[in-house]
Amino acid sequence: MNALPTFAGPKETPPQGPPPKPFHLPATTDFVLPNGMQATIVPYGTVPKTAVRAFVAAGAIHESAGQIWLSKLNAALMKEGTRTRSSEQIAREAAEMGGQIEIQSGSHYTSVGGVVLSDFAPKFVALLADVVAAASLPSSELPRLQADLLRDLSIDRSQPGSLARERFLKTLFPDHPYGRVYPSESNLQGYTIEDVQSFYANNFHAVRTHLYVAGKLEGDLRGAIEAAFSDWPRGTAAPELPAYPAQARSLQLIDRKGAPQSNLLIGVPVAPPSSPDFVKLEVMNALLGGSFVSRITTNIREQKGYTYSPISQIGTRMHLAYWLQSADVTTAVTGPSLKEIFYEIDRLRQHPPSAGELTGIQNYLAGLFILRNTISPDAIIAQLHFVDAQGLDRSYLSGYVQKVMEVKPADMQAMADTYLIPSKMTIVVVGDQAQIADQITPYQ
Amino acid sequence: MPITYYKLPNGLRVILSPDSTAPTVVTAVYYRIGFRVEPQDRTGFAHLFEHMMFQGSRNLGKMEFIRLVQENGGVLNGSTRFDFTNYFELLPSNKLETALWAEADRMKGLAITGENLENQQGVVINEVKSAIHNEPYGGFPWLWMPQYANSNWYNSHNFYGELKDIEAATLADVQAFFKTYYAPNNAALAIVGDFDPGEAQAMIAKYFSGIAPAELPPTPDIGEPRQEEEKIATRPDPLANRPALAFAYHMPPRNSPEYFAMGLLDQMLVQGDDSLLYQELVKKRGYTGDIGGAINELGNMFDYDGPMLYTVSLFHDASVPPAQIMAAVDTVVESLQSQPVAQNLLDRSITKMRSRLYDTMTEFGGFGRADLMACYALFDDDPSRIDSLETEFRKVTPQLIQSTAREYLRKTNRTVLLIDPGAPAAIEEVLQ
Repeated sequence: MNALPTFAGPKETPPQGPPPKPFHLPATTDFVLPNGMQATIVPYGTVPKTAVRAFVAAGAIHESAGQIWLSKLNAALMKEGTRTRSSEQIAREAAEMGGQIEIQSGSHYTSVGGVVLSDFAPKFVALLADVVAAASLPSSELPRLQADLLRDLSIDRSQPGSLARERFLKTLFPDHPYGRVYPSESNLQGYTIEDVQSFYANNFHAVRTHLYVAGKLEGDLRGAIEAAFSDWPRGTAAPELPAYPAQARSLQLIDRKGAPQSNLLIGVPVAPPSSPDFVKLEVMNALLGGSFVSRITTNIREQKGYTYSPISQIGTRMHLAYWLQSADVTTAVTGPSLKEIFYEIDRLRQHPPSAGELTGIQNYLAGLFILRNTISPDAIIAQLHFVDAQGLDRSYLSGYVQKVMEVKPADMQAMADTYLIPSKMTIVVVGDQAQIADQITPYQ
Repeated sequence: MPITYYKLPNGLRVILSPDSTAPTVVTAVYYRIGFRVEPQDRTGFAHLFEHMMFQGSRNLGKMEFIRLVQENGGVLNGSTRFDFTNYFELLPSNKLETALWAEADRMKGLAITGENLENQQGVVINEVKSAIHNEPYGGFPWLWMPQYANSNWYNSHNFYGELKDIEAATLADVQAFFKTYYAPNNAALAIVGDFDPGEAQAMIAKYFSGIAPAELPPTPDIGEPRQEEEKIATRPDPLANRPALAFAYHMPPRNSPEYFAMGLLDQMLVQGDDSLLYQELVKKRGYTGDIGGAINELGNMFDYDGPMLYTVSLFHDASVPPAQIMAAVDTVVESLQSQPVAQNLLDRSITKMRSRLYDTMTEFGGFGRADLMACYALFDDDPSRIDSLETEFRKVTPQLIQSTAREYLRKTNRTVLLIDPGAPAAIEEVLQ
């Protein structure tokens, strides 16, 4: 078919604009309280909002095998009051400051915090300290919160993407809490108030906590932090629990009868954040599948129309990382999608990209770095927390763009060749077995 | 923050709002064409068309627009909403001219092939499958509620599109849609971030002033009649395994005193864990773990121009019948209808709203501010309205909250949507 409308003559070249303005990360104020709690304050922006978040090393890895989601139950129960405040009082006080207390548990940390009008940030620090250090964990609220988590569990497990992720992590980390994504209903129902109280008592300690404040700074925040948290007992440091992810080829199918799409996950362990290869791997990821113009997205979305939002990422856990490509593809092209993804992996393993293709990706990541450090106070906190939690030097951030720009085309091929080894990959497919079993058999 | 607003001779509305906090700049082009008024035999077409705007123009072939933004260190997106379709780039601030040149290029015309269209039909069909057909609770409540609560086709059709309509679209449809709606006199250009307004004006004149305006079609009647009876609808969801419930009220006319009162009622009822419905349904009764609510579920209470719903939704257990949940909702709503609200509750809702306004304005590197300014330019010819929002909310009195609750939170102004779960009890797994 003809293009519409038709244009004649040579194409214009896009204007390039002037050279970039320099970008410097805002300077942080870092200090440690006598009880070992760490704090970081970052001034940012002119809008009168401030994010305050405490990360406590209390997460899923501190649960035993029969305690999956106990950290989640603890997070929910922590909102139910302190020794001196009811849950409704906490909610009202935070709302009067323009925010609320948000508590989320992850694999290593529970974060407790919120974003408030800047004037109230010192007062919010005090409220936060009460919730973090003096939670009352009332048994009266336990059955209701268990019922809520049972509902969440049931809904999560009805989603194909969640099932794929669960199987992928279970395969990658067979004997580690990282691989235990969902509890059984009976386990979850069986958790007692004593289980939650011990989890809280064993893990919520000053020495395991790093508090971050970012945004427009008003009042004496350092004084507020020292006053609110200094009485919290030091406690004991978080135990390490190293993980050794599986590096074996497997193809796993979860049957979902009549599914119009197959959810694909293809992943493999790569070098950890502390490795000199890590930034190179991030560049490789953006080029291969981790950005809109990446090879895999161009191929299976923009050329073939197999899928809407394919994406690859470098996922991290403590001192480790993995590469993971995901795509929800039309059922009939499940096999062809796998074929094209592996074709693009192999192509990068065999040939370095052109300098032009790589430069485009490097510029993208350099620009993205500015966005990640300016887009919101919470984005700034996320960057700092990643670096601190992984035990990296803060110079990781100030030197990041330079490291990205130093990557060479040969590095891209070397990273793919070294790490993206098909015989070590875990493949998970959630889809209609009757329609796709034959299509995926070649990828066993 | 300062705002410069003017129109080019071809009708393009330009809004400039410099802010040097970060060395970045948002360039946003808004076309006043949303899914509400797309062609009646082509549901989902406004959204499909949005995809075509990335498929090639005079100087930028397929993928080249996206590559240009990405290799200059930026991100971009487009979205189709009730009353506009937007395209924006967030870039390092030295790349403003690059973004303006590129947006002007595609405002001048598309250069796409049947192959491009077929490819994007495949992509969009996969988008709809991922979001709706292959996902439990897909489209709940944002896609389904307008279809039950509204009675005018423009407000009640399937905005994401029936797959057969998406498949039926032709290049001629694409050409006609572009010619009708994608003209400078039907668009606004908003720039927010670290730039010099004088330099920006010169660049805008250079790249956009030569684009010809179009004769715009008459606006169809998108009005909704006053709802006089409560509606209750049930929708089976074979992929879901727990029931879900949503209820929605028709909003007062935009920018009326009652409209601002509804913004605060939303803060009182649903926003935050101090809110009345959260306290009643989550904390006191344990019917659900959380509730969500929004005036305009595809944006915010400011970026639309027509009939709108205030929708609240939650997931619950089969052991709690919907009637019991709605009875609890009624007790809370009646408390706001029976007497003027306590001043401290009103004050708290204003504080929450003020805090949220700051978040809205700064969302995504200033995109939120560009969004509001572009909408107020397109819908009200007055982007400076964003600076008077807080004042409008502060004018709301306890008496106005009461009268607004009586008229707009009426049961007979309400539609209740129930999701009836039909998922099999267990999922079979096969290990290879």
